[in-house]
Amino acid sequence: MMEYRFQVIPDLCTGCKTCEVACAFAHAKNGKPGRSRIYPLAHAKDQFVPVTCLQCDDAACVKSCMFNALRRNEETGAIEIDYGRCVKCQACVAACPFGCALVDEEQDEIVKCDLCGGSPACARFCPESALRYVKIETA
Amino acid sequence: MVNLTINGKPVKASEGEMLLAVIRRMGIDVPALCDHAAIEPAGNCRLCMVEITKKEWDGWKKSVTSCLYPVEEGLIVQTHTEELHEIRKTILDLQLANCPNSDVIQKLAAEYGVYKTSFQVQPEGDNCIMCYACTRICEVLGRNAISPTQRGHNKVIAPPFGVEPPDCIGCLSCAHICPTDHITWHDDHGVRVIWEKKFELIECSKCGKRTITREFADFLIKERELPKEYFEICDDCKRKETAKKFGTLAIKVREAAI
Amino acid sequence: MKLDSIKKLDAWQKECRKKLDSQKTKVLVCLGPGCLAGGSDIILKEFENILKTKKIPGITLEAVKKTGCHGFCARGPMVVIEPAGIFYTKVKKTDVKDIIEKTLMKGEIIERLLYKNPDTEEIYKDWRKIPFYARQQRIALRNVGQIDPDEITDYIANGGYSALAKVLGTMKPRQVIEEVTKSGLRGRGGAGFPTGKKWATCAREVSDIRYVLCNGDEGDPGAFMDRCIMEGDPHTVLEGMIICAYAVGSTEGYMYVREEYPLAVVNLQKAIEDAYEHGLLGKNILGTDHSFDIKISRGGGAFVCGESSALMKSIAGEIGEPRAKYVRSVQKGLYDKPTVLNNVESYANIPEIINKGADWFASIGTKKSTGTKAFSLAGKVRNTGLIEVPMGVTLREIIFEIGGGVLDGREFKAVQTGGPSGGCLPASKLDLPVDFDTLTENGSMMGSGGMIIMDDRTCMVDVARYFLNFLVEESCGKCVPCREGLFQLHQLCLKVCNGEATEEDLALMERLSKTIVKASLCGLGQSGPNPFTSTAMYFRDEYMAHIKDHKCPGGVCKKLITYRVNDECNGCMACIRVCNSNAITGVKKQKHVIDEVKCDRCGACYAVCNFEAIDIV
Repeated sequence: MMEYRFQVIPDLCTGCKTCEVACAFAHAKNGKPGRSRIYPLAHAKDQFVPVTCLQCDDAACVKSCMFNALRRNEETGAIEIDYGRCVKCQACVAACPFGCALVDEEQDEIVKCDLCGGSPACARFCPESALRYVKIETA
Repeated sequence: MVNLTINGKPVKASEGEMLLAVIRRMGIDVPALCDHAAIEPAGNCRLCMVEITKKEWDGWKKSVTSCLYPVEEGLIVQTHTEELHEIRKTILDLQLANCPNSDVIQKLAAEYGVYKTSFQVQPEGDNCIMCYACTRICEVLGRNAISPTQRGHNKVIAPPFGVEPPDCIGCLSCAHICPTDHITWHDDHGVRVIWEKKFELIECSKCGKRTITREFADFLIKERELPKEYFEICDDCKRKETAKKFGTLAIKVREAAI
Repeated sequence: MKLDSIKKLDAWQKECRKKLDSQKTKVLVCLGPGCLAGGSDIILKEFENILKTKKIPGITLEAVKKTGCHGFCARGPMVVIEPAGIFYTKVKKTDVKDIIEKTLMKGEIIERLLYKNPDTEEIYKDWRKIPFYARQQRIALRNVGQIDPDEITDYIANGGYSALAKVLGTMKPRQVIEEVTKSGLRGRGGAGFPTGKKWATCAREVSDIRYVLCNGDEGDPGAFMDRCIMEGDPHTVLEGMIICAYAVGSTEGYMYVREEYPLAVVNLQKAIEDAYEHGLLGKNILGTDHSFDIKISRGGGAFVCGESSALMKSIAGEIGEPRAKYVRSVQKGLYDKPTVLNNVESYANIPEIINKGADWFASIGTKKSTGTKAFSLAGKVRNTGLIEVPMGVTLREIIFEIGGGVLDGREFKAVQTGGPSGGCLPASKLDLPVDFDTLTENGSMMGSGGMIIMDDRTCMVDVARYFLNFLVEESCGKCVPCREGLFQLHQLCLKVCNGEATEEDLALMERLSKTIVKASLCGLGQSGPNPFTSTAMYFRDEYMAHIKDHKCPGGVCKKLITYRVNDECNGCMACIRVCNSNAITGVKKQKHVIDEVKCDRCGACYAVCNFEAIDIV
């Protein structure tokens, strides 16, 4: 079976933040950029890790949502927010152990990585190919 | 699958689906103030009324709230007739008399040509349109901290006996779902106040940023079996931790490869 | 004694009958709500006190029975001596001795206590001949006023539970439903939905449990039919419910009674306990496979809880608010299970339909509204009381022949049928036959059967205002058209009453009414504007008089009337004494004067004046 996976390769990340910009623009709404769902963070001098949602199997965000607003998109593998159901209670923000469910105060909504519906902008724009969206073979 | 016709267009819907959902999916704009996907439909605001008939009804029609009407085979639906326009207009006119200061109502009423209410304006009118979205969302949580009390025109949404609600966990779902922003709350110096009840907001053990209420976290830990430690630090610090964890791992992998 | 077979019931019935017949003379003291208010409990006590000490051959203490409402409330307290049918009206405690000594001991009739027709001066010795009773046909009320509601033996002796025995012994559930369908019985709660059809739909639903409910939440002002049945003959309601449960396959039922009817609750509770004791309720009723339990659920007195879906929520312990019934309660009712809900009177008809047959029942009344209907007559009518007539009799027959016409010989103006959300019909509609469809076609409705008669001193705008006010207060407040719409309609109606309204306001009221009718969630809102729409249709001139001339033709609306003393005044000073605002001046034997500024239009002077010397202008 073929599946897509989002890969992060910290060794290649230079912390240029192109991914952040790409993400913010990919999620622009009403003429305003959205809050980036990815953050290249330094953990040592000149050493960066782009932190974004891991789309966990048994995800804490999904478990924490009392209104079933978080569900996995089986096609892309991303856990997406159903904005029709989300009431912005921030349970997922508090529950995610990786800090990857976020409050977008500008747009007044809860956001998280949705893999851009199958074509992540961050991966497309990463100049160092530290972020990749690849096809892999699974059993 | 069920086959029906909406505004002359044939459409398929799944069994048990409500008419409003199908109408919305077709991109037809029908106003509704009390409808929300996270809660059970209630039919309080009456704006989503549509006209339905069937071939075998011999021209007999009726107006129903589409948020509550399950799809039926052969249903013929009209969403914008003159009569429906009149119903929506009168209802918004009434709401405008009841909530004269609500910008949501003002805007919607204006869309139906009502700029000033024909009725007696309620001097004590607040922004509550009595849609029960707040009580319904609280019911989904299983808390039922607030409920409608009194009857008729005196009806208000309130905690039991009008005192601070023992079952409220300060999650703000009611305030966020309120279509007219009637439910007020504020966070100040790590204390949240809603329904006149005070809550302590969890302080991030690393940076001191305030997150959700202790009661809400405890509720999620218990109800959803989540580890307690997830809630002790804020999302910013959790991302930093993540970077550190994975970065250290990456270094180890790299060193091992060398 | 537990009756574990139908045979045992038959035997017991014979025994009860024999015991009842052993009393040659029976004294029935009416303890219906009207007579009770007149002190009939004191009269009953007096009978007991005297009979305890006095020995009368052939009459024991047991001969004196308390009964439910006999019907002729205007003439209460009533004492009826059977089987002769001697009917003593307006009985006082002091009359009891006379009744015992003269009537019971010597067989003399006390003429002063008999009913005298005020028009013909005719005196009636047998109550069955009085026009008030002679024109009635009692099916649902057949035992009310005739038996002691506390004694199951009384009910049994009068053929009680024989319909249940017939059903359990000889009929299949399907046959019971067919019989009820054939009888044409329609729901007596007001909507008139065919009862048989309701039962059939419920029986068809696939479910592990079905509920049978009885609606005893009679909330209409001026209506007391269901109350009298529950208080006066509780077993007939239970029997109807048990038969229904057998027909639809239910094992659990609830009696929903409003808290304001404490006696009904007590009597029903006693009846249920007795029925359990005798094996007529509970497991294996009369030794058959049919089991059924009934619990009483007391309502808190919200008018809207008479609405089926609100009632079911109330029983379930939730807030008594209606829901949209796009999925009907026969499919998903109480606790989301198939549920049959019928009115008290509907159930009371069931045993008779089973006993006498569907054809018999269908032959009474009209083709589309079969059988009889109980009404409570109230308002400005001479014979206030509880009646039951075949469907299809005219309003004129009910009001003028049974009801005896308008009180004090005044002119008839309107009759309000169907409770607060019913409508007012004018004199021109008096010859309408009373049935479900005709009343609806004419802008009113059958409702549960309240009838309020109004005379020429009634202001129809004020009547509309009164009923709208009732509905505003009783609206549950869930949906906008009913909560806000009726509120605003009432405000506009007040404006008319105060003479401040314009014709545009009237047009707005009509426009608003249309939306309320079409857009409301439940029956309360959908019929809510009826008090206005029906009066605006039939009494438009009165609205126009308020709006254009600033006059209230009925002389009721305070802001539009003044009281004036005319030349008939002989200076008796009676009005001066009753006036609370010291607005009347004058000396003895000289014409008095009312100060219009001080006068608060309470009407006390008008009421007290014996010389018709006060005019309302």
